[in-house]
Amino acid sequence: MSPSIHHLLLVPLFGFCLSASAAPLDEPLKPLPPVPQQNPLRVELGRQLFNEPRLSVNNTLSCASCHRLDKGGADTQAFSIGFNGVPVTINTPSVFNATLNFRQFWNGRADTLETQIHAVVQSPSEMGSDWEYVVQTLSADPAYHSAFGKAYPDGVTMNNVQNALATYERTLLSSNSRFDQYLLGDTDILTLEEKYGYQRFKDYGCIACHQGVNIGGNMFQKFGVMGDYFKVRGNPTDTDLGRYLVTKDEEDRNVFKVPSLRNVAVTAPYFHDGSAKTLEEAVDVMFRFQLGRVPSIEDKTLIIQFLKTLTGEWGGKPL
Amino acid sequence: MKMSNRRNLALLGIVAVMLASTLAFLYLKSNSNETSTYAESRDLIGRIKQLNAQWETEILKARIATNHNYDPLVTPLTGMAELWERFDTLESNHGRNDSPIWRASHDAYLTAIQEKTRLVEQFKSHNAVLRNSLAFLPTAEDDIHEQLARLVDGDKLQLQNIATDTYDLLLSSLEFAQVTSDDRAADILVGLNKLGVNKLRLPEQFHSPIDILSNHISLILREQPVVNRLLENIEAVPVAERLDEITSLLNTDQQQTDAIEQRYHFYMLVFSVLLVLLLVYLAIHLMRSFTTISRVNKALKTANDELELRVEERTRELKDTQSELLDTARQAGMAEIATNVLHNVGNVLNSVNISADLVSRKLRASKAQGLGKAMQLINEHPGDLGTFLTQDDKGKLLPGYLNQLVEAIALEQQSMTDELAQLSKSVDHIKDIVATQQSYAGANSLMEPLHISELLEDALRMNAGALTRHHVTVVKEYGEVPQVMGDKHRLLLILINLISNAKYAMSDLSNRPRQMTLGVKIVDNETLQVSVKDDGEGIAAENMTRIFAHGFTTRKEGHGFGLHSCALAAIEMNGHLTAHSDGPGKGAQFTLQIPLKPVTEVA
Repeated sequence: MSPSIHHLLLVPLFGFCLSASAAPLDEPLKPLPPVPQQNPLRVELGRQLFNEPRLSVNNTLSCASCHRLDKGGADTQAFSIGFNGVPVTINTPSVFNATLNFRQFWNGRADTLETQIHAVVQSPSEMGSDWEYVVQTLSADPAYHSAFGKAYPDGVTMNNVQNALATYERTLLSSNSRFDQYLLGDTDILTLEEKYGYQRFKDYGCIACHQGVNIGGNMFQKFGVMGDYFKVRGNPTDTDLGRYLVTKDEEDRNVFKVPSLRNVAVTAPYFHDGSAKTLEEAVDVMFRFQLGRVPSIEDKTLIIQFLKTLTGEWGGKPL
Repeated sequence: MKMSNRRNLALLGIVAVMLASTLAFLYLKSNSNETSTYAESRDLIGRIKQLNAQWETEILKARIATNHNYDPLVTPLTGMAELWERFDTLESNHGRNDSPIWRASHDAYLTAIQEKTRLVEQFKSHNAVLRNSLAFLPTAEDDIHEQLARLVDGDKLQLQNIATDTYDLLLSSLEFAQVTSDDRAADILVGLNKLGVNKLRLPEQFHSPIDILSNHISLILREQPVVNRLLENIEAVPVAERLDEITSLLNTDQQQTDAIEQRYHFYMLVFSVLLVLLLVYLAIHLMRSFTTISRVNKALKTANDELELRVEERTRELKDTQSELLDTARQAGMAEIATNVLHNVGNVLNSVNISADLVSRKLRASKAQGLGKAMQLINEHPGDLGTFLTQDDKGKLLPGYLNQLVEAIALEQQSMTDELAQLSKSVDHIKDIVATQQSYAGANSLMEPLHISELLEDALRMNAGALTRHHVTVVKEYGEVPQVMGDKHRLLLILINLISNAKYAMSDLSNRPRQMTLGVKIVDNETLQVSVKDDGEGIAAENMTRIFAHGFTTRKEGHGFGLHSCALAAIEMNGHLTAHSDGPGKGAQFTLQIPLKPVTEVA
């Protein structure tokens, strides 16, 4: 099928979509769900804890130090700096919409947000603390002591600290992206180029992995399906082993969680190694090593235009 | 009796508690909440099974679709994990995890689900790339064909062959995706080799599309068997079977519990029947007890009536005795009056006696005998009387002697007349006393007009001798009192007694004059108050309450009726008699208060 035929087919399709007023579209990509109803005391407590540097052993890092809500829920570095000033070995993923990922961490070693929080606080390269110390520190603070007392019957405990943080993170949804509005039936919100971009996104097979409500984040995939990415990149590290580190299964070598593409335009650099500095670079890598195809310059531009419609809002402002 | 009652009560209580607790025990045993837990557990397992089936359906759908959303392959697992957690909490709350069979079946399920999850994750990864390549194949082949068609120069036949080979490879690959077999895999390998050879025959611009195509076909060749194997393995994971095992375990347990419950139901039925029988027995017993109680009650009532009759009889006897005693007291009072009268009469008689003695003594020593001697001298000289009187020595003295004698006799006569007047006065006094006594004796409660002061005077008069003998000064403080209607006899009885008592109370008094104060006045215009006050020995506080009691006295010779009968008399007149004393040695005052009834009122 030639691109011109695609165009001819798409025009009446879009016309149909326009006439179908505000009915939600049935697409492999799904709009963001609303923020779940949760105990507001716990959400507020979680917000405080998220910005609490005393979670790290030397009071230097809070969750928000690396997951900056004004930087797309991550930071702009390939590798964030740990509590001891040494960079960590993997790129920080965005905290936005993390609750919608089927697992946490690049290699999916945590099933829940709570487990993820549990690991980061104790990680010797990230916060370097331990839970006993954290609970002790927070218990000693009268403000936390009373806030926990109000939100939880058993006060400050490890589980409650993790639950408060996870509760807060469940509210971190970057809603109202233009593409979400499109999916909800406002088909005029996207330009024709963006709509073509979405079509290319599906045609080239990006959608094979990046689909569902989080546009990714619901499966594992080998990095380098159609070619050895690591050989080309060079300097293989331990973290490049991906899920293999968790399962020790040869099958899982270089396998990573497919990341969400929501807010992808504002969360550079890309990939677990932060090697792609721009969206173009990342798209190129994906075409070469994952899809094994060569897109036209025009198609690539369209796809990038589409990707930029995935940027949502936080606090009423676009990310 | 009381002890055994309490023991019986305690015993009854213990028996009741035992019966109640037995019933409660049986009830709880036959109504355990196990059933609801079983229902919930079975429901949870059923829902897990449904989700599992839904999961499998989604896996099969993912196998054939291209643009697929993999979220439905995630959500059932999340749901299953949640349900399992609830089930596990529910069951561990019942301590079922202690049973090794349960533990084993739990572990078996968890292992199965873990394995299945792992396989599904792999399936998702492999299936995604496989579907993508399969979807892309026609486009990739199209790209080559288009370029081939545009190639104008060159061997047409060779180009045709290359096109056919490529198309065959495409078809073989698509067929391979449908029916994966080693033969077709070999076909594809041959086709790939041909494509590699053809590539070399074609110009440079064909190399890239041909590489892309062969890469994707290689991928299909690699991934399709993997996906097929994964699907087979997923199907082989016995999650549903493990869930069925758990369900059957639940059912077995449920049956056992049901059997136990039924047994306890039966026990409870038997126990209830026994209890009902016991209740019926107790009811009969109770009815019998009622009969007995009413019989005993009747007997008691009869006995009580009898007793009441006897008490009445005794009360009457007592009343009789009391009136007898009252009579006695009255007689005693009368005796007292009589004693007083006799005493006074005795006193006056003493005066009479003295007067009589005096007269007789005077008569015996009368100068009248000297007259006789003078007459004898005169008689011895009948003839010569003149001579004798003038001549004789003796005769000459005689007229002087006679003159003197006349004077002496006149004096004697005068004193004897006086003495006899005194005597007759004493006799009159006696008459008076007797008359007074006669006027009171035997008189009944008779209201008559009287002057209370006169009555007091009478009482004093009756005691006059004793009062004089004891040197008692009587002070009279009489207020203005009109003539009143009163019981003269009773009033006099009281007054005589009170005056007599006052006199006795002061009999031991030697250091100061004995003084008795009589008072009469009207209080509040409706009460007549008569008081007798002495400054004698007084009354001890402990005797104050007993002083009016029957038989009380502090005197050796007293009979204790006096004040008692006085108090009775006062009450009989609708009044009362009170005593007051500041203590021993400080005198006493007795006060009689009776309703004032002026004579005018009656008239």
